[in-house]
Amino acid sequence: MRKTLTLLVASTALTAAIGVPAWSAMQAPAGRGLGPVAALFEEDPQTMPLILASDDDDDRGWREGSRRGDDDDDDDEEDEDDDDDDGCDDDEGVCRGGARNPAPAGTVAPPQNGLFENGAPPQVQVN
Amino acid sequence: MKSLLGTLALTTALTIPGLAMARSVTLTTTLNNYGGDGAYLALYVTDASGAYAGSLWMAGGKSKYYEHLRDWYRATGGDTAQVNGITGASVGAGRTLEVTLDLADALFDAGYTLHIDAAVEDLRDSPNEVAVPLTAEGAGTPVQGRRYIASFVYDM
Repeated sequence: MRKTLTLLVASTALTAAIGVPAWSAMQAPAGRGLGPVAALFEEDPQTMPLILASDDDDDRGWREGSRRGDDDDDDDEEDEDDDDDDGCDDDEGVCRGGARNPAPAGTVAPPQNGLFENGAPPQVQVN
Repeated sequence: MKSLLGTLALTTALTIPGLAMARSVTLTTTLNNYGGDGAYLALYVTDASGAYAGSLWMAGGKSKYYEHLRDWYRATGGDTAQVNGITGASVGAGRTLEVTLDLADALFDAGYTLHIDAAVEDLRDSPNEVAVPLTAEGAGTPVQGRRYIASFVYDM
C-alpha cells in the first residue's frame, strides 16, 4: 500500500515538473518567445503568425526590349486558355492586383463611345 | 389605304437616315512572321486634335498586358471598359485578323485617325505601329506597320 502511494506521488511530481513549464510556454503571448508554438493553441486563429516558407511565384512579365530567352513554349498563337502562372483567374476574369479583364466580343454590346452606330456585335475572323 | 401609305412613308423616312449614318467597315490586319507568341493589338481612333476618341478592337484578353500597348494605355489609363464587347484573342505571327464593325459615318473624312499599338511577349513594344487617316479615299489601300504588322487595310 505504501509502495503504491509512493509511486503515485512520484508520478504526480514528475508530471507536474514537466507539464507545468510546458503549459506555461504554450500560454505565453505571441511576440514573447515561443509565440508560434503558443499561437497554435490559442482560441483565436486570427492571431496566428504568418510564416513565409518560400516564394516560388513566377512573376515573369513582358520584358521590354529583350528577346525571348527561357521560353520553350512553341505555341505561336493566341494563348488565352493556357494554364499559365500569370496571376489571372481566367474563369473570374480577374488578374493579380484586382485588374478585371474586358468582356469578350459577343457577350456584351460594344461601348457607347460614338464610334459604333447601332450596338451590333463585331464580326471577327482570324485566318 | 391612305393611312397605310402614310405609315409606310413615315417608317421609310425614319429608317433611311439611320442606314445612311452607319457603314459596315472591315479592318484587316496581317502580321509578319516575327517568331514570337501571339500579338496583342489595340485598334483605336483619335480625333482631328489628336485626342483619343475611342477603341475599335482589342486583340488579347488579359488586361495585365495592356500597359505594353503604350499609347492606348496612356490615353485610356488601361480602362477595360473601353474594350468591353470588342475584345478577342491575341493574333499569332503570320495570321490575319479581320474585324467587321458598323461604324458611324461621321468618322470618315472628318480628321479621325485609326491607330494600332502592338506588343508581343518578350519582344519590343510597338506603339503606334500603324496610323492611318480614316477617309473614303483611303479605303482599300494597304499600309505597312513598323514592326509586327505586314499590312493593314480598311474596306467599306
